Amino acid sequence: MEMLRAIAIGLPLTVLVTILALMIGTVVALPIVAGLRSRNRLVWLMSRGLVDLLRGIPPVVWLFILYYGVSIGAIRLTALQAGVLGLGVVAAAYLAEIFRGAISSIPKGQWEASSALGFHRATVWSLIIGPQTARAVVPAYTTFAIGLLKDSSIASSIGVAEIVFMSSQYARQSGEGIMVFFVAAGVYILLSVPLGLLSRHLDIKMRKAVAR
Amino acid sequence: MIEPTIRTGTPVVQVKNLAKAYGSNVVLRDVSLSVPEGSVTAMIGPSGAGKSTVLRCMNLLEQPDSGEIEIDGHRINAGRKPNPKNLAALRRSAGMVFQHFNLFPHMTVLKNISLPQERVLGRSRDEANEKSMELLKRMGLADKADQYPSRCSGGQQQRIAIARALALGPRVMLFDEPTSALDPEVGVEVLEVMKELACTGMTMVVVTHEMAFAGNVADELVVMADGGIIEKGEPGQILQDPQHERTRRFLRAVLER
Ligand SMILES: Nc1ncnc2c1ncn2[C@@H]1O[C@H](COP(=O)(O)OP(=O)(O)OP(=O)(O)O)[C@@H](O)[C@H]1O
Ligand SMILES: [Mg+2]
Repeated sequence: MEMLRAIAIGLPLTVLVTILALMIGTVVALPIVAGLRSRNRLVWLMSRGLVDLLRGIPPVVWLFILYYGVSIGAIRLTALQAGVLGLGVVAAAYLAEIFRGAISSIPKGQWEASSALGFHRATVWSLIIGPQTARAVVPAYTTFAIGLLKDSSIASSIGVAEIVFMSSQYARQSGEGIMVFFVAAGVYILLSVPLGLLSRHLDIKMRKAVAR
Repeated sequence: MIEPTIRTGTPVVQVKNLAKAYGSNVVLRDVSLSVPEGSVTAMIGPSGAGKSTVLRCMNLLEQPDSGEIEIDGHRINAGRKPNPKNLAALRRSAGMVFQHFNLFPHMTVLKNISLPQERVLGRSRDEANEKSMELLKRMGLADKADQYPSRCSGGQQQRIAIARALALGPRVMLFDEPTSALDPEVGVEVLEVMKELACTGMTMVVVTHEMAFAGNVADELVVMADGGIIEKGEPGQILQDPQHERTRRFLRAVLER
């Protein structure tokens, strides 16, 4: 019972870190995508460099840098802040690539028809390209979200008391060893399977409507 | 149903000295063309002649390197950056129909036709839907209004695309091989609609490989090859008695197929 209690205490933080990092990643990815699509060489190069930098360094290193290395004036990031921020910006880099791919998978004819009809740029993005991108992106996005759910355990390395952190603490204190990790694994599966099912359901539903 | 055609003769489209190159590949050299109101101009010519490029330059889907384009009084000079208002006005005057329809797959047929009216003309949703239904009825597709485009045949999709363009009340309709992606029997449905459109006096420019349409419906035939217009005039005359050797070769190749 103590074991389940430990995991139950960790669970909300796992979910919180995942959701916040996903939100940060999604929002920050948008300007990066704009940069990756920019015709301005310098803007493009900077965005490209940023993505490669964020992806090229292991997330755990980013967390260490943010947690131990960053102090803005007297302010230091808490473990949770550093964890969410670090996982969030790394997610932004991956999501930017996912979004970019989805946007470029939309046939050129959609842009041409939009221009020929005389739509404004904002209309093209919000009503033509955006919705089609959102549909195209669902499978890759949920796959990424499931990955992020598991990677949120990296935050345990800087002391965020999520599932893995609580599990190892319990293992050390109780001396029961491996058992708690099996339970933790079960909880991760319970969290990710519904996500995967939801994604497939959404994907099939949208494909039915607009099969191309 | 077919109204008498009024041909006043003032040009709706005027293209002057259009030139365009992709890198070192010269695609258009000095193309000039004038399309009188209420007339149908058919453009034929071998693949790579530059037919699509001319059409796409007309509504600035493609930016020409030099030359001048005027549609319904809205003039754009290729040398200068187009003023956005003028560009929008020019595009509103020209309806475009593509080889691959380019309908919006995530919207119903009705929405495909209504959305541009709402966004570009500022019509209310009800006004737009009313106009859309009227056009769908005219195309014989009223029952498809609530379907998604993917549920419609190619011929139906192309007619929907024509309705979408017509809904904005263009002064000229530009067609880029509207039947090339369709089976011949299905293409006929689309050609029928185009014929009817021509009869109601719509000004049209049609890039096509359909020689029967070019010969029977068009008022003027333009033959392009190697980035230039090599011959233009009365369709019957050109098809019977082409003046240019290149035209003869092209017609022989098309007709012997
Ligand atoms: N975006 C582009 N980039 C580079 N070259 C292009 C591009 N678009 C067209 N071209 C070239 O321009 C030339 C004319 O093309 P265009 O599509 O206007 O020919 P077309 O007469 O419409 O031929 P088709 O009957 O095959 O449609 C071709 O040589 C083509 O390779
Ligand atoms: Mg073409």
